Amino acid sequence: MSNEINFSEFSRQSLKGVLIISGKFLFQLLKGTWVVFLVFITKASKISSIDAIYFYVMIVLLLLFVVIRSYLVYRNFKFKIDGDYFVLKNGIIAKKNTAIAFDRIQNVNFSQNLIHQLINVYQVDLETAGSDKTEISIKALSLSDAKALRQKITSGRSIGNEEIVVEETEKEKPLLTIDVKSLLKVSISENHFQSLLLLIAFLFGFYQQVEDVFKNFIGEEILKNYLSKGKDILLGSFLLLIIVLILLSMVAVITSFIRVFLRHFNLSFSIKNEAFEIKQGLVNKKAIILKRDKVQHIKITTNPLKRMMGISYVVFKQAISGKVKKTDKQIKIVGCKEEHLDKIKTTLFSSFDFNDVLKEKPHWYFTYRITLRNFLFLTFFNTFHYFIFDGINQIYLNLLLIPILGLMIFKRVKKTFFKAADELILVGGGMIETSETYLELFKVQNVKMKQTIFQRRRKITDIILQTASGKIKIPSITMERANELYNHILYKVETSTKEWM
Amino acid sequence: MEDQFQNNEVNNFPDISSVTFTRIEKSYFKVALLSVFSYFLIIVPVLILFLEKVIRKKEPDFPFYLYILILLIIVVYMLNLILGFPKRQYVVRDKDLTYKSGFLTRKMVTVPFSRIQHVEIDEGMFSRLFKLATLSVYTAGDSSDDLEIKGLTKEKAIQIKEFISSKINE
Repeated sequence: MSNEINFSEFSRQSLKGVLIISGKFLFQLLKGTWVVFLVFITKASKISSIDAIYFYVMIVLLLLFVVIRSYLVYRNFKFKIDGDYFVLKNGIIAKKNTAIAFDRIQNVNFSQNLIHQLINVYQVDLETAGSDKTEISIKALSLSDAKALRQKITSGRSIGNEEIVVEETEKEKPLLTIDVKSLLKVSISENHFQSLLLLIAFLFGFYQQVEDVFKNFIGEEILKNYLSKGKDILLGSFLLLIIVLILLSMVAVITSFIRVFLRHFNLSFSIKNEAFEIKQGLVNKKAIILKRDKVQHIKITTNPLKRMMGISYVVFKQAISGKVKKTDKQIKIVGCKEEHLDKIKTTLFSSFDFNDVLKEKPHWYFTYRITLRNFLFLTFFNTFHYFIFDGINQIYLNLLLIPILGLMIFKRVKKTFFKAADELILVGGGMIETSETYLELFKVQNVKMKQTIFQRRRKITDIILQTASGKIKIPSITMERANELYNHILYKVETSTKEWM
Repeated sequence: MEDQFQNNEVNNFPDISSVTFTRIEKSYFKVALLSVFSYFLIIVPVLILFLEKVIRKKEPDFPFYLYILILLIIVVYMLNLILGFPKRQYVVRDKDLTYKSGFLTRKMVTVPFSRIQHVEIDEGMFSRLFKLATLSVYTAGDSSDDLEIKGLTKEKAIQIKEFISSKINE
C-alpha cells in the first residue's frame, strides 16, 4: 500500500494496525483469564510435564488465533470518503456497512497508547450523538493520514480534489495550555473520595476474580477463614482502624494525583477553523477535536478549594442520546485560570456580552422551598433514627446536621441566579461547588414552564430549558418575567437559521 | 443598526399567554378513567394482599393507617385528574406546538417545529374505542420529556402531524 491514502477509494488502515488489534484482543483475553495463568504458574511444579505441554500448545494456538483473527479484522476493515459521507465496511463473517454524514460527526479523537507510540501510529475515533459508544474506531493510521482525514471531516464540505495542506496546522500556537503547576493544583483539589471509590471498585473486581478461581481451586473455607480473621483484627483495634483510614486517604490522594497526571498531562486547547482541539495525556495521549457548532452549552465549575487556587473546570456539553452518564466521555478542560475562561467564552460565543445585563435572583419562595425540603429530610432522618437506634446521640447528630444543612441552603440560595442577555443565557447554581452554565438561546429544543400549586398563589414559576445535551432549570421567577423569557427564547429559536447541532 | 433591530423585536414578540388554547376531546376523559381503573384493578388487590398477609402479621394495627394513606393518595390523584382535565389544552402556532396540562402542578411546554426530529401518532387500547389518538413529538438528544398530546381525534392528530411535517421540510 502506498503511504498516502486516497480517501475517495476504499482503503485499509496501516498494516501496523494488526499489531494494535492483536494487542487489544490479547489484553481483553488476559483480563478475563489472568488468574488461571497465575494458578498455573504457582502450581507449575505439581503439574505433570505432559499437561504442561498441552498447556503451552494451547497458548501457542491461542496466540495464533489472535493474530489470524486480527489480520482478518484488518483485511475486512475498509473505509472511504464518498461526498460528504464517511463510509466504512467491516466484519469478517457478518459484513457491516456504515455511512456517517460529516455534519453528524460531533468529534474526531486521536489517541495513542504505548503500542501506538512505539510504532508511531494513531487511533482515530469518530463520535456522533447517535450512541454512547464510539461509532467508528480506526485502530491505526499514520499521522499524515489521520490529519488528512480529520481535515476532510472538520472542514465540512468536500471541495473537489483540492490538495490538503497538512503543514499549515503544524505550528499553530494553542489558545491555552495547562502547565504542571496548575495540574498539581487540580490534583490537590480533586474529589479524593471519588478516587478512593474508583480504586475500591477496581480492587473489588480484582478480588472477585481471584475469589471465583480460588473457590474452585483452593476451596471456600480457607479463604473465608482468612478473611474473617482479618476482619476481626480490624474491628478489634481502634488504633488499627484509624491507621487504615489514614492510609486509605493517603492512597486516595495519591490515586487522584496519578489519575490527573495520566489523563491531563500537557493539556492544550487550540482552535482550528471551526473546530476546537484538546490534547492531553501522559502515557495514553489523546487529542479530541470537536466542532464549534456541536457544542450545546458549557458549564464552568469550581469548588472552594479550587477557587482559592484560582482554577476551575470547563465542560463542553454536546448532544447525547439516552443516558450517557460516563464521565469519561465528558469533554472537559481542567485547571483553567480566569484569563483562560475569558478566552474560551469569547471564542465560543460570538456575542459574549454580559456587561450591562441584570443579575436576577430567584423569588424568596425558592429559599422557602429548599428550606422546607431540608426540614422534611431532617424530620424523616430523626424519625428513622429514633426507631432504628432508639435515639442514641440524636441531639448531637442534630447539632451537627442543622448547621451543615443551614450552610448548604444559604450557599445554594446565594449561588442561584441567572443573567439573560439577548442571545445568551447564564445560569448559576451549586451548593458546595459553584457552577455557571452558558447557553446560546437558539440551541434550546423545547421550553417548559412548571408551576406547583404553591407557586401559583405567589405568581411564580420554574422555567426549564431542554437542550440536546440536557436540561437547564431556572427556578422560581415571577410569572411576568417567565413569560417574557419564554417568548423571547421561542422567538430566538424560531428566527434562528443557524445549525444547532 | 443593531439597536434599531432590537427595538423592533420587543414589539413583535408573539406572546404565548395571549393565545387561545384548544381543549382536548371530552371523550378522552373516559379513556383516562378506564386506564386508571385498569391500573387499580391490578395494583389494589396486590396491595391488599401485601398489607393483610405481610404487614398485618407483624403489626396488627398498622395496616389501618396505611389504608387511610392509600385512600388519601387515590382521592388526591383522582381529584388531580378530574380538576386537571380541563387544563389539558394545546395550540398549534405557525412555528411551534404548545401543550398545557396539570392541576396540582401546572405545566406548559412549547416545541418549535425547527427542532422536531420526528412525530408519532399512536392509538392505545381504550383510545381506539373512542377513535382517539396520541400525538408525540420528539426532539434530538437527551430530551427525556418531549411533548405528548393525548386525546386528540385521529383526524386532528393526522392533520397536525401533516402540518408539522410540511413545516419541517420547508
